Amino acid sequence: MKSLNNIVIKNFKGLPKMPETFFNDGWKKLKIGVQAIYTSQPLEQSFEELYRIVENLCTYNHGRFLYVNLYETTEIHLKSELLPSISKEIDFLGTMNYAWVTFCRQINTIKNIFLYLDRTYVLDNHCLLSIWYMSLSLFKENIVLNGFLRPKLIDGLLYLIYQERQGVVVDKNLLKSLISMLTTLQVYDMIFEVPFLHATEILYKTEGENLIQNYHIVKYLQHVDQRLKEEHVRVINYLNSYTGITLKDVLVHQLLTPHLKTILSTGVSELLEKNILNETGLLYKLVGLFPSGRNELCTAFSEYLKKRGRLIVIDPENDKNMIQDLIDFKDKVDVIVSECFENNFKYSEAVRESFKFFINQRHNKPSELLAKFVDGKMRSKDLSEDEIEDILQKVMILFRFVQGKDVFEAFYKRDMAKRLLVGKSTSQDAENSMISKLKSECGGGFTSRLEGMFKDITVSQGINSAFRQHLNHVYSAGDGSKNLNIDMCVNVLTSSYWPNYPSYDVNLPQEMALYQNIFLKFYMASHSGRKLIWQPNLGHCIVKVEFTCGKKELQVSLFQTIVLLLFNNNNEIPYKDIQEAINLEGNELQRTLQSLACGKSRVLQKTPKGKDITDTDFFNFNDDFTDKLFRVKINQVQMKETVEEQRATEESVIQDRQFQIDAAIVRIMKQKKTLTHNLLITELYEMLDIPVKPADLKKRIEQLIDRDYIERDHNNSTIYKYIA
Amino acid sequence: MSEDPENVEKMEGDSAKPDRMFTLKKWNAVAMWSWDVECDTCAICRVQVMDACLRCQAESKRDFYGKQDCVVVWGECNHSFHYCCMSLWVKQNNRCPLCQQEWSIQRMGK
Repeated sequence: MKSLNNIVIKNFKGLPKMPETFFNDGWKKLKIGVQAIYTSQPLEQSFEELYRIVENLCTYNHGRFLYVNLYETTEIHLKSELLPSISKEIDFLGTMNYAWVTFCRQINTIKNIFLYLDRTYVLDNHCLLSIWYMSLSLFKENIVLNGFLRPKLIDGLLYLIYQERQGVVVDKNLLKSLISMLTTLQVYDMIFEVPFLHATEILYKTEGENLIQNYHIVKYLQHVDQRLKEEHVRVINYLNSYTGITLKDVLVHQLLTPHLKTILSTGVSELLEKNILNETGLLYKLVGLFPSGRNELCTAFSEYLKKRGRLIVIDPENDKNMIQDLIDFKDKVDVIVSECFENNFKYSEAVRESFKFFINQRHNKPSELLAKFVDGKMRSKDLSEDEIEDILQKVMILFRFVQGKDVFEAFYKRDMAKRLLVGKSTSQDAENSMISKLKSECGGGFTSRLEGMFKDITVSQGINSAFRQHLNHVYSAGDGSKNLNIDMCVNVLTSSYWPNYPSYDVNLPQEMALYQNIFLKFYMASHSGRKLIWQPNLGHCIVKVEFTCGKKELQVSLFQTIVLLLFNNNNEIPYKDIQEAINLEGNELQRTLQSLACGKSRVLQKTPKGKDITDTDFFNFNDDFTDKLFRVKINQVQMKETVEEQRATEESVIQDRQFQIDAAIVRIMKQKKTLTHNLLITELYEMLDIPVKPADLKKRIEQLIDRDYIERDHNNSTIYKYIA
Repeated sequence: MSEDPENVEKMEGDSAKPDRMFTLKKWNAVAMWSWDVECDTCAICRVQVMDACLRCQAESKRDFYGKQDCVVVWGECNHSFHYCCMSLWVKQNNRCPLCQQEWSIQRMGK
């Protein structure tokens, strides 16, 4: 064996040893560095060198010692240097903030130096905090949560906020920084938020109690709104965003909920009455901040409506203006609902309900007045088509609320009849529009008669032109122009459509009776199986007359005409003779004579003079009559008649209602077979849309029992049974 | 009819005296028409003959107020009914419901 290569493998002499002092030396240098950073002194060694030391120490497993030593050094710094320096200061918050900001900067530097430690040793031990968090936690424990500093800090913050709430300008950045410190240290919830909310609560509790008494409602609401805005800004400026929600709750609970009753009971009606839209809207917005708020406001709103509306309806003195007032009120309320209450469905519902409630506080009267209101507008000459249409729309809205639409129909029909017969209606379109509105509201049954009335008028126009032709044709053989000096036209009405009018059997002058007969024959020739009843009380005429002052035309009623025509043959006629000649019932004749001899335009003279007509009076033609106009309308004396008419209309409505009630009772009983009295009454009220008293219902039930439609149960007299 | 013009003429002659003060120029008269019947309810549907019969009301014919469909009919016995009611009735029984006479139409309203 040749040993070509003598390779000797020797044992290790031993590992190269770290110097004993390696750790201590290293740490010493680091400690000096750290302390220099904490005290803001210049460093002896560069960051680079320090970093190397840390790296080396960590590599040689001294991480643990390094961490513990750093921890201790930091703790000592905080306890023995920072703490006393903060405690002494007068500007506590400022110093605190400064200490915090500086400390953050310092540990940021330290963290960078000890980065290798963070990356190795700390990372391997999950239970350890990184250097950054470890330092923060030390700061928290030793400074912020220090038994002496903590209350001072919190009180200081709260005082600053208090001052800001009082309108003092404070250092918002300081607040922001300190509060973000609390957040960073994760003690915001624990030590700040609770006392803050508590302080807020107390402040606003007193403020609310104070101001609600001293401030006007408008000002109070503005104030609350202002406060809410301020607190909102506060949250944005320096509080944690989640505090905002609780904070708003606190405000609402201190400023609004406890005083809601006061606001709603007195404030709302004032806001609404004075039509203060902005603050009403504001109130709506504010009560929306808590769950039941909108409902409570809605209740208060409808209470106001009911109270206010009732005042309009209940006062008989105000009957003349009631409908206009109601329309205005509705307009106003509609604006409020749309402007202030965002057209909230609940609120519009409340409006409907309230109107329904107060309009029916007086039975029938609103219906009647509504009909008369429409009549007035239909006759009015100063309204444009659009204005009338607008008014009709509004009337229909009110009409929907009114119970007892039958009353409306009755009065409307009566008034419409007058308009049609006298030709007083301004616009045919408006009339049609009203009818079609009623039709869509109440169905064809409601308006069929009204439509029939229109049809009658149209048909009559056709008949009249045919009649005129007929006269020309038949009588033109003679001296036509001489014969046909009366222009007669007749409205032939279908009796079942029109209101019932009293019939009079008066003696017409021969000439007129003749015309009437010609017409009758003419009409019957084309309409067999009919009979005509003349209504002299509805007729009206134009009479030519020659006074000393010249020719005039008088626009007069038929009764007035026949009285006047008597004076063609006699200059002076006693009352008795007039009555005998025309056979008109006393009351009617007196009214007629009164209008001619005692009214504004006195075509006749009465002896002896006086306001009232008596049996012994004499009448003669007043030759000296003068008037500015060529055509003079002589008004009829009508007051009394109107009252009677009104009563008659009401009566006929009540009659009709009995049938309605009967029908409803039978319909319900037929369906249910047996029913107790109370249940029947409840069902009846549900079915009937007319105001009826329970006593009336009872009467109708009795009636039906008598007529064997229903019977009482033999054992229990409160139960009714239907008899099939 | 033929004597009417003479009458008018005579009257006009009378009243054309120079001392006549009032002259009727225009006359708007009003008359109510109704069916010329003895009993104003239809015995078949118990509705007034002036109104449309129950069936027509229920159908709420658009033109029922025109009376085109719901006129009155008189039998030889002079009893009157809605034409609609009667035409249904005679399909079952060709007698007047009131007097049991054979039904034949005397005239119809128009």
